[in-house]
Order: sequence, then C-alpha cells, then structure tokens
Amino acid sequence: MSDKKTKESRPSYTEFTLDMFSRSSGKNHSEIKQFNQWRDDIIEADKYTFETPHLTPQTPEISVRRIHGDEHNLVNFSSYNYLGYANHPEVIQAAKDALDTFGLGATGSPLLNGTFDIHKKLEDSLTSFFGQKGYGISLFSSGYGANIGVVSSYIHKGDYVVLDHSSHASLIDGAVMSQGTVKLFRHNDAEFLERILKRISKENRRILVCVEGVYSTDGDYGNLKDIVTVTKNYGASILVDEAHSLLIAGATGKGVVEEFDVLADVDLVIGTFSKSFGGIGGCVYAKNDLINYMNYYARSRMFSCALDPAVTGGILKALELASGSDGDEKRKRIIENADFLRSLLKDKVDIGTSHSWVIPIIFGDERKSLPLGDYLMKRGYDFSIMMFPAVKKNKSIIRAFVTSEHTKEQLEGCAEALIDASKEFNFGI
Amino acid sequence: MNEHIPGENLIIWEFDYAMTTFYEVDTDQISSLLPKELSPMEIVPGVSLLNITAFNFPEGGLGHLPNFQELIAAIVVAPDLSRGVPKFAMYVFSLGSTSQDHLDHSADYYKLPSYNKLKYGEINRKINEVEFGDDDGSILTMNNCCKDIGDYLGHERYFQAFVSKGDDIYIADLYLQAALFEHQEQGEVGVINNHPFLKGLELFDEETVPYLQMILQPSTKGKQFYYKPEKYR
Repeated sequence: MSDKKTKESRPSYTEFTLDMFSRSSGKNHSEIKQFNQWRDDIIEADKYTFETPHLTPQTPEISVRRIHGDEHNLVNFSSYNYLGYANHPEVIQAAKDALDTFGLGATGSPLLNGTFDIHKKLEDSLTSFFGQKGYGISLFSSGYGANIGVVSSYIHKGDYVVLDHSSHASLIDGAVMSQGTVKLFRHNDAEFLERILKRISKENRRILVCVEGVYSTDGDYGNLKDIVTVTKNYGASILVDEAHSLLIAGATGKGVVEEFDVLADVDLVIGTFSKSFGGIGGCVYAKNDLINYMNYYARSRMFSCALDPAVTGGILKALELASGSDGDEKRKRIIENADFLRSLLKDKVDIGTSHSWVIPIIFGDERKSLPLGDYLMKRGYDFSIMMFPAVKKNKSIIRAFVTSEHTKEQLEGCAEALIDASKEFNFGI
Repeated sequence: MNEHIPGENLIIWEFDYAMTTFYEVDTDQISSLLPKELSPMEIVPGVSLLNITAFNFPEGGLGHLPNFQELIAAIVVAPDLSRGVPKFAMYVFSLGSTSQDHLDHSADYYKLPSYNKLKYGEINRKINEVEFGDDDGSILTMNNCCKDIGDYLGHERYFQAFVSKGDDIYIADLYLQAALFEHQEQGEVGVINNHPFLKGLELFDEETVPYLQMILQPSTKGKQFYYKPEKYR
C-alpha cells in the first residue's frame, strides 16, 4: 500500500481497517487512492461482501449477486425488517393505494408544500400510539435526518451534548451540527455520566444527554432508569433513540422507554421507520411546543423533501398492524426467536451482553473480518460483519438480526453455521 | 514483514517493555500544542487522542547506551497517506528519558522535543504499571486496565511521527515489530498529573478515559525501526 516500493513489500488487505483511510494531510487526496487500492485488493481476493445487490425482498430467505457475478441463496440475518412489515401484503397494498392517490414523491419540503393528508394521519396515529396529552410528532425523511435535525435545533453553540460512548453516528453528527461541546460517558455508566453532569451543570448552559433504547452493535438495552434519574437530577434534558426498539420493546411496542416506565420523563423520543416499520424515514415525539419549533428549525427536515407518500401509506398500515394483535404476536415471536438463538449460541461463542433481537457474536481479531464474511456467505448465511472502528479493537463481531419471521429451522441452521465458523476461525469458547 | 535495511537513515531500537495508552481529551485542550499545519484526528468531533507511551530499553537496545526508560507524549494527527497507510500518525510534543545521552541523541537525530532528564521510570512488569517522575514530582502512573488479556499479535505495525523544530515540521516513518495485545476496555488506567512534562495540558482525572491500550508480551523483545525524519512539505 505504500509508494516506497524499494524497502517495503505490500501488506495484506487484512492489515487495514476503514479508519485508516478516513483522512490524509496534504493536497493530493492520498486517502482516496489508498482506499481504492485496498478495496481493489479485497475484490481481487474475492472477499468483498459489501454493497451486494439483493435480488429479492428482505425476507428470511434472499438471493444476492456478488461483485464477480456469482449469485447466492442465503438465509438473511442482516436485515432490520424485524417484524416482517417491509413485505407484508397489507403494508404493500397500503403503499400501492397511497401511490395511486398521491403519486411517487412529495416534491416539496414538509413546511412548505410537501405535507400531504397522509402525513398528517401518520403524525396523529403515532401521537395516539404514544398516548400522552400535549405531545406530538414531527416526521423526517430519514432516521439519520431526525437525529441530526433534532439535536442541532435543540442545542446551540456553548451548550453541551453528552453522548453515550456507543452512540450512533447520527447523534454524533447532530452534535457536530449543533456546534455544542461534545462529552462522552462510558457506555451505560450512569455514575460516569453524573461526574460529567456535576461539573458542567455549574455553568448556565443547556445540556442534552443522548442515549439509545437498544444499542445496535452490542444489542444491549440502554440503562434508562438510572440515566434518566441522573439526567433529571442535574436539570438536563434527555433524548432516547428507539431506532432498534420501537414497535418491539415494551408491552405495546412503545420502546424501551415503555419497558422501563420512563416515557413521561423523557424529553425527546426518536423513532425510525426503516427498521420494524419496514419503510424509510424517522420521527421525533415530544411536547407540542417543541414539535412546532422543530418543524421550523430542524434543518434536515426543512431542507429535505417530505416523506414519500407511498412509503408513508405503508408505515401507517404497519403501525396499525403493530398496534393490534398482529403486533402482539410478532413481538412475542421475535423475543422467543432471539432467546432461542441465544440459547443455541451461549457456551459455544461469546455473545456479549445482548438482551435483544440484535445478537453480536464476538470473534475478536479484525483481520478475520473479510475472510469470515466471505465464509459465512458461502455457507449460505448473510450477516453484518462489524470491525474497528465501528466496534472496539479485538472485539469484531458478526451481527445477527433476528426477526419475528425466522423459523426454528433457520435459527438452528444459523447457530450451526456460526459454531462451525468459530471452529474454522478459532473464536469458540 | 517489510524489509528494513540499516543505514544512516535508519536506527533499530530494541525494547523489552512497552505500554501505550491513548486517552480521550477535549480537542480545545490540545489545539494549542499542535502546529497549525497539523490537525488532530478526532474520535468524535471535539474529542481528540493524547498518546502516552512508556518503553524500557535494555542495555545495548540502543547502541552503547545502558538500560534506560523513555516516556513520550504525543497527539494523534491526520496522517500523510502518500507515504503509506499508518496505524496512527502522531505529533510528539514531549519526550522524557532517564538517560541524558538518549535525550541528546533524540533531539539531535530525530529532532524530538526533549524534556528534562527524568528522575525515575519505574516499571512493574507483574501488574503492568509504570510511574515516571522528576524533581517536579510524579508525571503519571499508567496501568493496563484489561483483565482479560487475549492474543498478542506480532504483525508489523507502521506509524508516522511528526515533530517540529522552530517553524519547520518533520515526519519520520516508524515500524514496530513486536508481539502486542491491543484492547479498548474503558477501566481505570492511572493518574496523569499536572506536570510541566505535559506542556500545560490539564486533564480532568475523573473523566480520563482510555480509548486504546497496547502492551508488549511479557518476556519478549520488540524492535522499532525508526527512520530519520524528513522535512515535511
């Protein structure tokens, strides 16, 4: 990878991680050249499993085409389609109906001319779903946009954004846009958070603490009880991102805020429609005066086109289904499925602190990542492989997303493939 | 492994103890230490990395020098990828050593920012803890916080070291051949005191979080292939 050919041989592509190409000083954009060289090396070795086009919907069984043209039939453990609504017939029909009524795109900002009647219906339905008086919903065209818009309109220069160390990039980027000062606290460590709040709360500045309902790499729950208590004790505000937990966690699917009974104390709840809803988009749930403000000042909302009406129709139907017996059944099934897969894996491989439908299988050394992803795909399984800097050094993971739609046989096959991989790549326990 | 041919531009250092910790620090705190041509690599915007490394060089590990200990303070900066892809690029802003000869050599050959001779560099290999200090008192104690030590990996690691002298900036290529264990556990890693060695950098003890640590496998030796710095641009 170096230009100094005289004294160096080229190291293997497994020696590099994505962070190493993120920046280069100087005018010549060496990071682009070096990154492309690395990517080419992986493709040449036939280990490239990224950007693989799917030829079928995100069902438990899918077909994909790899970069060299070979097609694979896979059991899908890499999709966020947790409750199967992305391809539910009623959801598809609702999307088709909305498409017929409103056309393909909203073709306008939600504040100006892009808000359709169907958007208002979704806002009202979501507000009723959460069920607190005086609260409302603001819709965004992506979950990423919701977080950056909400954080950057709530916090301003000189204020503080205090993030859990495992926070999603959208929260970090929102903090950057806000120009507030960023503080990090150890993952789920309320005592550590208190140390920070104790010091910064002496200043007369606004403080927003940001956490998640379910963390998307470790699959553990946010320590909401303790963190909400500490945050409130110091007069700070709290945002809970329920991207991976809305419609699933809690007795009626309101998320981990419902499960831990802290909904009333949380200032901002973020939802994403690209996961359990099976569509695309995001929202924030908060008190009405705040929602009205964000509709004008969240730049990612103001300067993006409103949600696609067809997708909005589908989301509305998914919400309706998830609020009733279909949702109850799917919630029960996804939790049973996740518990079942964990029971097959525990004592065989390290599954960390997972407590949810996101199950990480820790294989450690990031140099195994690319060959392992290739191995599992050739075994007939599709997983997300995550390595540093997305996860900690020596804590690289295979990430399995369990859905309510997986069968017992598929879960057993998944466990068998992972245990075989642990023997092949030496990460069993 | 790359081929490193010893010559006037390359010195090979042999060490038998090494521990390095990357600490998360506010970018505002370290900005004044950096030349304007270099920019910090932030793990999230506003949070940069301070690197502290402790070495023990046995007698003969560096030319004729007797056994001595070295302490380096650096900031992780954007690398120059036109030279290769390093694990990290660092701007070294303070170098301490228990050997005056070593300090003189480092200032002369490597243009490193030699701090005063240190009074002590104590290394407790059993518990992986070091303590350095001088007449101004203790600089720091630093310990490995990972209880579950896994594989020591011996592949070669490439780094870039930036230094400045006057208005000039220099860059050196540096390769480590050593069996190292790396981890990102966020436990207690000791105390960094407000000491002149750190050039005015003050850390909040209660919030000092390690981002990454590396330690050398006990009873092994590592080699550092440290090329002579070149003027940077």
